[in-house]
Amino acid sequence: MSLLRLTDVSRAFGKLLALQHVELEMEEGKLYAVIGPNGAGKTTLFNLISGFFPATSGEIWFDGMRINRIDAARRVALGLVRTFQITEIFPELTVFENVRIGVEAEARCSARPWPSRGLLRQIGDRVDELLDTTGLTAQAGRTVSELAHGDQRVVEVTMALSRRPKLLLLDEPTAGMGQEETAHMVTLIRDLHARQRQSILFIEHDMDLVFGIADRITVLNYGKVLAAGTPQEVAADPLVQAAYLGEAA
Amino acid sequence: MELLLFDGFNGLIQGAFYALMALGLSLIISLNSVINFAHGGFMVVGAYLAFTLAPYIGFWPALFAGPILAGILGILVERTLVRSMYGRSDPIYSLLLTFGFALIIEDVVRTIWGAQGVPFEIPAALGSPVSTTYFFLTGYRLFVIAAIGLATIALFAFLRLSRFGIRIRAGILDLETVSALGVNVYLLRSVNFAIGTLLAGFAGVLAAGVLQLAPTMGDDVIMATFVAVVVGGIGSLFGSVLGGLLIGLAAGITTAYYPAASDVVIYVIMAVVLIVRPRGLLGQEGLFE
Amino acid sequence: MSRRVYVNGAVWLLLLTAAWWLPLIGGYMALASRVLVYALAAMGLNLLLGFTGCMSFGEAAYFGLGGYGTGLFLTHLTHSTVLAVVAGTIVGGIAAFIFGPLVMRRRGIYFAMITVAIGQIFYFIAERWNSFTGGEDGLSGFSRQPLHFGFATVPLNAVAFYYFVLFFFAIGAGVIALLLHSPLGHTFVAIRENRRRAQFLGIHVERYVWASFAIAGLIAGLAGALNALQNNFISPINLYWVESGNLVIMAVLGGMRSFWGPLVGAIIFVGIQDYVSSYFPNNWETFIGGLFIIAVMFFPNGILGIIRQRAKAA
Repeated sequence: MSLLRLTDVSRAFGKLLALQHVELEMEEGKLYAVIGPNGAGKTTLFNLISGFFPATSGEIWFDGMRINRIDAARRVALGLVRTFQITEIFPELTVFENVRIGVEAEARCSARPWPSRGLLRQIGDRVDELLDTTGLTAQAGRTVSELAHGDQRVVEVTMALSRRPKLLLLDEPTAGMGQEETAHMVTLIRDLHARQRQSILFIEHDMDLVFGIADRITVLNYGKVLAAGTPQEVAADPLVQAAYLGEAA
Repeated sequence: MELLLFDGFNGLIQGAFYALMALGLSLIISLNSVINFAHGGFMVVGAYLAFTLAPYIGFWPALFAGPILAGILGILVERTLVRSMYGRSDPIYSLLLTFGFALIIEDVVRTIWGAQGVPFEIPAALGSPVSTTYFFLTGYRLFVIAAIGLATIALFAFLRLSRFGIRIRAGILDLETVSALGVNVYLLRSVNFAIGTLLAGFAGVLAAGVLQLAPTMGDDVIMATFVAVVVGGIGSLFGSVLGGLLIGLAAGITTAYYPAASDVVIYVIMAVVLIVRPRGLLGQEGLFE
Repeated sequence: MSRRVYVNGAVWLLLLTAAWWLPLIGGYMALASRVLVYALAAMGLNLLLGFTGCMSFGEAAYFGLGGYGTGLFLTHLTHSTVLAVVAGTIVGGIAAFIFGPLVMRRRGIYFAMITVAIGQIFYFIAERWNSFTGGEDGLSGFSRQPLHFGFATVPLNAVAFYYFVLFFFAIGAGVIALLLHSPLGHTFVAIRENRRRAQFLGIHVERYVWASFAIAGLIAGLAGALNALQNNFISPINLYWVESGNLVIMAVLGGMRSFWGPLVGAIIFVGIQDYVSSYFPNNWETFIGGLFIIAVMFFPNGILGIIRQRAKAA
């Protein structure tokens, strides 16, 4: 059974057709990428999958469930967690406090007004564990708005991981990063995938980066799927070469 | 039946005032991103200035001078106080600012003109009823409705046809783009604020002839104006007009049947609208939710 | 961590010893009680305003309802002052709970507009329902009754009433403090910081805004109950939107992001109001309005915000 399946999904904004008849299928434990030039509809696709807005038509299935009508917050509980292209974090809180919000939501105790000491300790331990996974332990006490851009993005990924996602959606995780930061993020993504068999779907416009790590790639152009397959297949596709690689070359 | 007509007509007049106030408030909310708590204050200022000037310059010139002075006061306030709030991401500050200004206006008006209400003399020609059966149909009341209708039409024409008006509408939709196109956004916002306060002043002068002048008259109207904007749909100018007329009429008709509830009914309408159609009658979907 | 302990210790010590030191600097106990009453309402409001990031401008409604609840309870049902306080608190809380769903989806200035308009409903009901609420003249004819302990009866004179208020203030402040250190409080702050992120971490934002709104109403109700007892009187003016604005400015003036900010704001506001209204009885509104404008223009982070920035810079 596939983890995520989109069948004939379209989204219109007024007269603008942002996505048309998109098909996408993804298995558990894989690392998939969606690429395409700016305005191709990549982020719109993520918004549909994560429940930011509904699809105009088509079906979205996740983990054996049709999720078209399920609201964003509940999709997170189902295991569908995303990051944003423009980093979304809690700016005035510390790294620790940022991640704690996610951990508390995962422990289903966000609404608890008087927690037991045991619960607080469990939460703290889990936050520490997550910070250790993504290499943020040394920054735990710092306010996130003071961190470097690359570290802020890592914080956002860590927060997403705190919800123990079945599928992690990363929207251009390396956007605006320098070389070193990008390398660090790529290593992090690769490690999550390799060591924890984390299923990841990510958007990227940097082709080279994608070809190195993705199991499969879907190419979007003008709101349509131009090609899909392994990196080799996609690279060999004449349509892709014409529309995308040709442009870059 | 006559009572119903009487109260209904009162409601219509009331609604026309709310509509005019709501229109100005709506403009300011949309382009200046400020809830002008002092909107009632500008109304009062316009009314009192017209009242003071009328004995010297006559009723008709005062009818225009009052609102224009309220508009000028609006520009001054926008330039000295409101403008410095645009950069603040938290809208609470502009709210508190206009709130404080509302308190000051009321106090100053009371100090200058006294706490007691004063009558505003209208031309005798407008004061008499046009019909003996329908004694409440005075010439002045009909004139008020016509004047408000004209002002509304003039405003919409200005926004649709004049270059400046079109820029205001464009700015409401997307201020950044308008700014990038080289339009002086500061001027745009200043003038827009002034138009809003001018409309409030105009409502004040007209209202002064129907009721009487009192420093607190703005207090009661400002809340109804908020309700009109919410009912009509925040962000929609037509909606504000519709919302104002609707709640005015509803309050008038309620007066005929159950006077004690006439103040509350507009809030009940608002609650119902918020439940049934959260964006308001003509508001855009998803906006501000 | 230790700094917080010192600050809290100092605040409570000053509040507990107010009966001794306040007269020395020319204050009087009724004024101190009034400060605590407004501070409590503003602290409750600040849970919503400063910690959940929702601009409520209608808090006076729940403050006033608490007062009417207490007044009517004492008039018709009981002579127990404590029970009347509990009743007023519950009235404020329930009203906020019922109206919460109307506002919980709104943001920014629209949240403010709708909360202030909803607040006016209660104002007009109180003003018009003469037979029940006393109408425009307000509700009088009740008075705070002596407290009966098993061993003694304590009449609530000015000093005793101050400590009575302080007792409930401590409960209210304690509840807020506990809340802010709990997961629920963390979630409120997360919503203030970034609604979208909170939502996409699986938090149902509206439900929490509702909860925060109801809790703020409950605490405003408690403060309002104490206010009614303080004056042995409650009038529609306590429900009016101007009163809501006063509560907001107290929170802003002291510092919205600080736990004790609203207390500091209430001290300044009530102090100035008391001083100005005795020297300029006719024009104190101009001073208060000027205070609003000065606070907004020059102290947007409040007094405690400035102190904290200084401390950070040093």
